[in-house]
Amino acid sequence: MSGLLEKLLINYPYLVAALLFTIGTFTVLTHPNLFKKLLGINIMESAIFLLFVASGNIRGGVAPIRAVADGEAVYINPLPSALMLTGIVVSVSVTAFALALIVRLYKAYGTTDMRRIVARRKEVTGDDGFDQN
Amino acid sequence: MTALIRTNLPVLVVIAPLFVAFILPPLARRIRLVEALAFLATVFGFGAAGYLAAVVFAQKGSPFIYQLGGWPAPWGIELVAGNLGVFFLLAVTGVSVPVLLFGRGNLTAEVGGAGRVTRFYVLYLLLVGALAGMAVTNDLFNVYVLVEVVTLSCCGLVSARRHPRAAEAAFTYLVLATLGSALVLGGIGLLYLLTGHLNMGFAARELGRAWPDYPHAVLMAVSFTIIGFGVKAALFPLHVWLPDAHATAPSPASAILSGLAVKGYLICLLKFLYGVFGGVLLRELAVHRILTLLGVTGIIAGSILALAQEELKRRLAYSTVAQVGYLVLGFGSLNVTGLVGALFYLASHAVIKAALFLSAGAIQQATGKRKIRELAGVGRKMPVTMAAFTIGSCGLIGLPLFSGFIGKWYLLLGSWEAGMFLPVAAVLAGSVLCAAYLLPVIRAAYFAPAPEEDWQDPGRPQRLALLMLATVVLALGVRPGPFLELARKAAAELLAYY
Amino acid sequence: MRDFILKRAASLILPFIFVYGIYVILHGAVSPGGSFAGGIIVGLSFIAFSTIYGIEEGQAKLPEKVLVWTESYGTLWYGLMGMVGLGRGVPFLANKLAGVDPGTPGTLSSGGLIPLIGLGVGIRVASTFVTLFFTMMEEER
Repeated sequence: MSGLLEKLLINYPYLVAALLFTIGTFTVLTHPNLFKKLLGINIMESAIFLLFVASGNIRGGVAPIRAVADGEAVYINPLPSALMLTGIVVSVSVTAFALALIVRLYKAYGTTDMRRIVARRKEVTGDDGFDQN
Repeated sequence: MTALIRTNLPVLVVIAPLFVAFILPPLARRIRLVEALAFLATVFGFGAAGYLAAVVFAQKGSPFIYQLGGWPAPWGIELVAGNLGVFFLLAVTGVSVPVLLFGRGNLTAEVGGAGRVTRFYVLYLLLVGALAGMAVTNDLFNVYVLVEVVTLSCCGLVSARRHPRAAEAAFTYLVLATLGSALVLGGIGLLYLLTGHLNMGFAARELGRAWPDYPHAVLMAVSFTIIGFGVKAALFPLHVWLPDAHATAPSPASAILSGLAVKGYLICLLKFLYGVFGGVLLRELAVHRILTLLGVTGIIAGSILALAQEELKRRLAYSTVAQVGYLVLGFGSLNVTGLVGALFYLASHAVIKAALFLSAGAIQQATGKRKIRELAGVGRKMPVTMAAFTIGSCGLIGLPLFSGFIGKWYLLLGSWEAGMFLPVAAVLAGSVLCAAYLLPVIRAAYFAPAPEEDWQDPGRPQRLALLMLATVVLALGVRPGPFLELARKAAAELLAYY
Repeated sequence: MRDFILKRAASLILPFIFVYGIYVILHGAVSPGGSFAGGIIVGLSFIAFSTIYGIEEGQAKLPEKVLVWTESYGTLWYGLMGMVGLGRGVPFLANKLAGVDPGTPGTLSSGGLIPLIGLGVGIRVASTFVTLFFTMMEEER
């Protein structure tokens, strides 16, 4: 049992990533507030970024730039960090787009609460409640 | 010049639509020019895909490998246009042409002014380019980037209408799709951790060595990718976003979303399952049984939900959920016949669903009615539109001589070969249910008395688009020959990873 | 925002922020940062200008038309840079193979085409952020 605990503690970045991912997913799926859903998405994506970046890290390693360290030093793997830069750009665009949609929804319904939006759908849009899913 | 195009074909297919997409925004005032350029881009894409298919065929089916930046495989990014890639490229570019044609001069009613229409075309071309990229990519992280481009442009297309419902549907779609892509990225991360490679071929080879040591991590990677792509491709219990999104989008957008975007994710899933994990591992982890079960529930539940809808576009949207079930069922058969069925059905459903959604959009635009029971007599007022709808319906039901039949037939044979009888029953039951939810529409359209209203077929480009799609449905059904052969080669290529 | 001190201070600092952004974009190949980070810095200098001097002043500096152009053609520039090598028979996005001399490591030119590509991307990122800011401010009114 202590072996398992030790394994978990040594790999704590992955543990934190798993925890963050759970928190994020839970927030996305259960919160009716649109902003909190968006926050949940961002937490979830950060968890994945952490998973990637932690996988490239070596304790005591340095950034693989020739000017910073000599050829002798232990370099960390820069690839996951570079990939996550792309991931961050994507997550920024998702956030911006979601915010724009929230603004539109707020203008139409006057609220950012999903439950109230559903309740007001008929009076705002004149739809006759064809929601059957 | 020809040599230049020939050597760079795989990358040209992807970047040509993207290039044109970024030329368009400053031209927003001259909407005719924008339409013409966008149309030319898709036609060029189709031409290039055809040329690429010819090249691959001339190489006896060995893949066309393209190294971006000249860096060789384990370090650089590869584009691989094998049989599978060419097959999906032909489907994507082929469907994108008529769908774009349908929007010509017709989008203002649904989308708004010239600026908004231009933005629609930009998103459309980005979507087509990214889907083409999905067909040829051979790099795990590229898959993630393309998936995100497809997701964001799909969300943009869904929210293109000014209606608040559109924004609502787009938000739900965005949230769930991002959940899906986070899972996909997690799966990719685990694969990278396990193998140290992002190139699919190298990762597959390394995974074969690594998985006895890390069985749990591999299991997690498999489930992350299946659930991640499952959310995005609207696999049955994860389909909740799809009906709203596909029913509220403008009709060309619904056509391309249902017809192609969902298929793009499935092709990626297929590449992951067979190209990275490999058949042995799938059988070992019993993934094929899970896929079959998901497919069966998808077919039955999607069809029953479709039957319960009163609105035409929503019924078609739920029908997409059922058709995704067929494809996943084929993925789970683990033999050439089943995979041929899944691939052929994928392409033919892309054409059929585009035809159905476009004709439904034309009907909705002309009549202003959304409910099926209000459409009595529409067949006599709008003969061309309804003919396309009827041909599409027959294809979707799977009547012989229509393209859907061949796909379903091979799916049946594949399940039979795999010794699984539940899917055989599900495929047959799905066809019956499909007839049950599409034939009432046709009956109401042709056999009910026509009202005294001035409903007319849409303009010439729209009719041409519908006729093109309907012709393809018939042509693939009567003479599937070369296309079926390509699907067979692609399936064999996938299973060669064993 | 009619604050004299704020405006004076901003007029002193903002040009340097802008130039620093360009520096980060161009040195993406040899130091941390790069076109995305630098583009955001450039964009933020305009956003700060608009918040301090008022959004009309900001839009007068960067009209929507200019933003649409830079946004599209910044991305297009990337593609064109990728095509430099095509004429020489090397693949898309080739850098050294395309015949660009990379020079000595550590200097600005050692990235080959990368600083040029980064310039396009940086312009695109900056204009996207400014567009987003303007759009959201207009939604407000």
